[in-house]
Amino acid sequence: MGLGSFIARRLITFIPTLLGVLLVTYLIAYAIPTDPVRAWVGEKLMNPQTLEQIKAKYKFNAPWYEQFTFLMQELLTGQLEDPVRHRNVFDEISERFGVTVEVAIIGFLFLVAIGIPLGLLAAVFKDTPLDFAVRIMALVGSSLPAFVLYYFLILLLFVNIRTTYLAGIPEPTLDCKITIASLPQTIPVIGHVAAAFGKVPMFAGIMCGEFNVVGDTFRRLYLPGLALGLLNGGFIARIVRNSLLDALSAEFIVYAKARGLRRLSVWKHALKNAMVPVVTVLGLNFGGLLSGAIIAETVFNIPGIGRYMYEAIMRLNFPVIIACTFLVAIVYVTVNLVVDILYALIDPRIRY
Amino acid sequence: MSIDLRRRRSVGDIVEKRLDLGEGEILRVKDLVVKFYTYAGVVHAVSSVSFYVKEGETISLVGETGCGKSVTTRAITRLIESPGRIEGGSVLFRRRSGQVVDLLKLDPETLRQIRGNEIAYIFQDPTSSLDPLYTIGYHIHETIKAHSKNAVKKETLKKAIDLLRQVLIPSPEVRVKNYPHEMSGGMRQRSVIAISLSNTPRLLIADEPTTNLDVTIQAQILDLMRKLQERYRMGVILITHNLGVVADVADRVYVMYAGKIVEEGSVEQIFYNPQHPYTKLLLRAVPDPTKRIEKLESIPGIVPSLINPPPGCRFQPRCPFAIDKCSRVEPPMIEVEDGHGAACWLLEKK
Amino acid sequence: MEFIYRFLKKLIWIYAGMRERISGGWIQKNSSRIREWELMAYAYSKSPIGVIGGLIVFITFILAVIGPMISWEPYWEYKIVINETYRYMPPCLPPSCSGSPLLGTDEWGRDLLAMSLYGVRISFVISIVVVLLGAPLGIILGLIAGYKGGLIDEVIMRLTDIFLAFPGLVLAIAFASILPQRIRGLLESNDLLRAFFAGLFGLREKEYAQIAALISIWLAMVIVWWPGYARIVRGSVLSVREMPFIEAAKLSGLSTWSILFKHILPNVISPILVMMTFDIATATLFAAALSFLGLGPQEPVPELGFIISKAGYWFPESSSHVVIYLGIVLLTMALGWNLLGDALRDVLDPRTRRAIEYRLEKKEKRG
Repeated sequence: MGLGSFIARRLITFIPTLLGVLLVTYLIAYAIPTDPVRAWVGEKLMNPQTLEQIKAKYKFNAPWYEQFTFLMQELLTGQLEDPVRHRNVFDEISERFGVTVEVAIIGFLFLVAIGIPLGLLAAVFKDTPLDFAVRIMALVGSSLPAFVLYYFLILLLFVNIRTTYLAGIPEPTLDCKITIASLPQTIPVIGHVAAAFGKVPMFAGIMCGEFNVVGDTFRRLYLPGLALGLLNGGFIARIVRNSLLDALSAEFIVYAKARGLRRLSVWKHALKNAMVPVVTVLGLNFGGLLSGAIIAETVFNIPGIGRYMYEAIMRLNFPVIIACTFLVAIVYVTVNLVVDILYALIDPRIRY
Repeated sequence: MSIDLRRRRSVGDIVEKRLDLGEGEILRVKDLVVKFYTYAGVVHAVSSVSFYVKEGETISLVGETGCGKSVTTRAITRLIESPGRIEGGSVLFRRRSGQVVDLLKLDPETLRQIRGNEIAYIFQDPTSSLDPLYTIGYHIHETIKAHSKNAVKKETLKKAIDLLRQVLIPSPEVRVKNYPHEMSGGMRQRSVIAISLSNTPRLLIADEPTTNLDVTIQAQILDLMRKLQERYRMGVILITHNLGVVADVADRVYVMYAGKIVEEGSVEQIFYNPQHPYTKLLLRAVPDPTKRIEKLESIPGIVPSLINPPPGCRFQPRCPFAIDKCSRVEPPMIEVEDGHGAACWLLEKK
Repeated sequence: MEFIYRFLKKLIWIYAGMRERISGGWIQKNSSRIREWELMAYAYSKSPIGVIGGLIVFITFILAVIGPMISWEPYWEYKIVINETYRYMPPCLPPSCSGSPLLGTDEWGRDLLAMSLYGVRISFVISIVVVLLGAPLGIILGLIAGYKGGLIDEVIMRLTDIFLAFPGLVLAIAFASILPQRIRGLLESNDLLRAFFAGLFGLREKEYAQIAALISIWLAMVIVWWPGYARIVRGSVLSVREMPFIEAAKLSGLSTWSILFKHILPNVISPILVMMTFDIATATLFAAALSFLGLGPQEPVPELGFIISKAGYWFPESSSHVVIYLGIVLLTMALGWNLLGDALRDVLDPRTRRAIEYRLEKKEKRG
């Protein structure tokens, strides 16, 4: 019983998935016939001695499972190093992850703001031109290559009316950063959580009351978000529409009317029942935002995790690839968990 | 040859001709017409149906699946969803205050105040009637709350427990917090009855309340409904295709066929002296448990499509006694004895 | 739209005639199935969205087949070598302009319209093959997992989870960066294979290194494509498995495979067909995205996503026409499949079909 054990059970099933993801990543990396160390160091700086050093450090001469356990050890103890930048991978990641989270959050906000109202309208005005327009929007949205829309929007909103800019990322003041970094010492558990959230510049801005950071972030990053809302908003709207219509045609809605419930209460029943599929699809979309980040970050020149991952793949930088994949898998799994919890909160039949 | 509309009247009309309701009557449905505008064509689901219900009385609508019983009762409080449309007739209802209203002409807000408060429904399938995301207690709470603004959750919860106890649900204090999926089918149906009774309605419309249940639970539920009816002096409209149930609980019976009432009368009249060929065949199709059954009786043929129903009597294609006139002209309701009538041309000669 | 119905009906009967010739009495035995197909054809011909989608798909198919043949400019000739001004020439639309390429030129001064004819072939082939290889893989795994249950189910579903948790783009990128070398070696040594793939993509055999890159995008996509199918098929199999007719088939001693393919698959196939149609659109865009990131073929292969990414450097000063035109080409290709899928969803749904059946009957009685 209880939500706690439900979450615990779900968490346990995630462990094999995460390990599997890591193993598959590693096996793919291992299958590469070229010499990764060459790619890391670069041809010019090549020097047999350093080459051997690095090879020894990452156990390239040992069998694959020893390499893998070595990488796992480093990864899980947080000591993994980026061999190209010679810094701890997690430091690199935590510097970039905040921006990617910002892009994802802004995109998600646009998605919800466009998809849900349109879906509700389409359901209420079923079989009217408006409904048809939403259907077409969903179809065109899922047919448009994301990068082409990015360029269109840049042409429209950057080049022509300059409502955004394409360089730099708004950061809170140094004072603010120091305050947040010192939080874990002042408040025990919550401080750590707050510090983790504070890595995202936008959240740090909110915590320190520097709201101009939030505004600037929106101005800097609203284009990819808007693109996302336009691309997937129609699809979300269709899901909202269909599940709402399904719920509205359910027998318990007729029974609710037969009981003389007020219009608002009847809608409450319909909306809550329509939420289950919508939550699932929104969750999947949020997970997809991170993998989609690579293209958005390339086009909009955003120094986020997607770019880092892309560069790592291009340079066969396994430690970074492994760490990033691990991160993405954790995000995916966490989003799934959140969806499951929301499910259980909405629908009592899910709880055991 | 067209039929004079004035001749098509219910037995009730002979007794009471005023638009007002008769002595003791709480509901009178007159010439109700419901049509469904579907892709396939216009479905004449209910064609000129009339009946009445008195206080404390149980009437029963009997007929095969798809003959328009449920649609008729749902049309009483205009619960017909698109593509369905109520196209004619009147539904007079005596409110608690004594005022008589036509439910088909009432403004939506007043109608809402009557639904679930003065007229309550029990739908066929308790599983799909209940919203799976809310507890039984919440269902009762919101039903009460919808009809009295100053209902407090604490009190409605107490009322809910009391109602669940009345419908013989064990440990109602626990059950009130249960979700529908945590209960058995019989328990769910009892909960639906409790929800429907939450505002002590004057008229209860029960649509096949026992169809999905075991025989033993069926008997319990029927017994329960009878007791509750006596306690609250409710009028009850019971829809069923089970003639055993009808004989058990109903005072008067309306037999429906293909969207029309073909025979009406008291239980004794219908069971001992059926007049319409359809009623006769229907009664013969009920197996007698005391006799060894060689072959189950059935009525040959199928229910006609209600899109383009046949002209004349709708039972004529299946009727073993059909005469020439039957396929041309619709038979009117012909009274055979006091309060007992049937729509059949064979009775005209008498 | 009447002729589309008649045309599809004719196709159905040609197929039925072929089956009849192979095994006599087929038409009689399957008359209700033929009737159902006719209904689908009728429902489809009544859907404007579906007809437009089908038309677009048909046109892209034709263009993909003949595109590289009718293209009037070889993609391997760079005009800027002769004259630097050919780079990113703006569109030249009659009547106000004449003499230079209609829709302008790309980075190397090549006629954009001619290049897009090659590009359509590449995108079309990749998207179709990815779905045709990825979907069956997922379907078979899903069928086995759902029907067998137990440990096999557990293993397959965990594997599915792993691949779903994997960022698809990352896996594809990783693959696209590993595989080309190996495939290049294979193509180098095998003349027949080289000629086959060059013909398939409408490229010259000389570009086998680029063809290797294309094939690796392919394989990468196939590998990320199957898990969705496996999950959906498994779910549907679970709901069908307990039905009485499957019990009956089991009791009558049919083998597992014939139960799976003859009795279970036909019952779960409709949503899969719809999903496959939508997925061809997604695959078109996905492949373009990979090339956009520079993971696909390089110069001189005129892959649509790749040309757009090159144009991105000069965007929007001189190359916006490239992004806009090639964007519209990609949009149209994907939209065709999406429209078709949207209509198929209605056509394959027995509920909507019943309503249409009646109208068709009425019409046939009249006509």
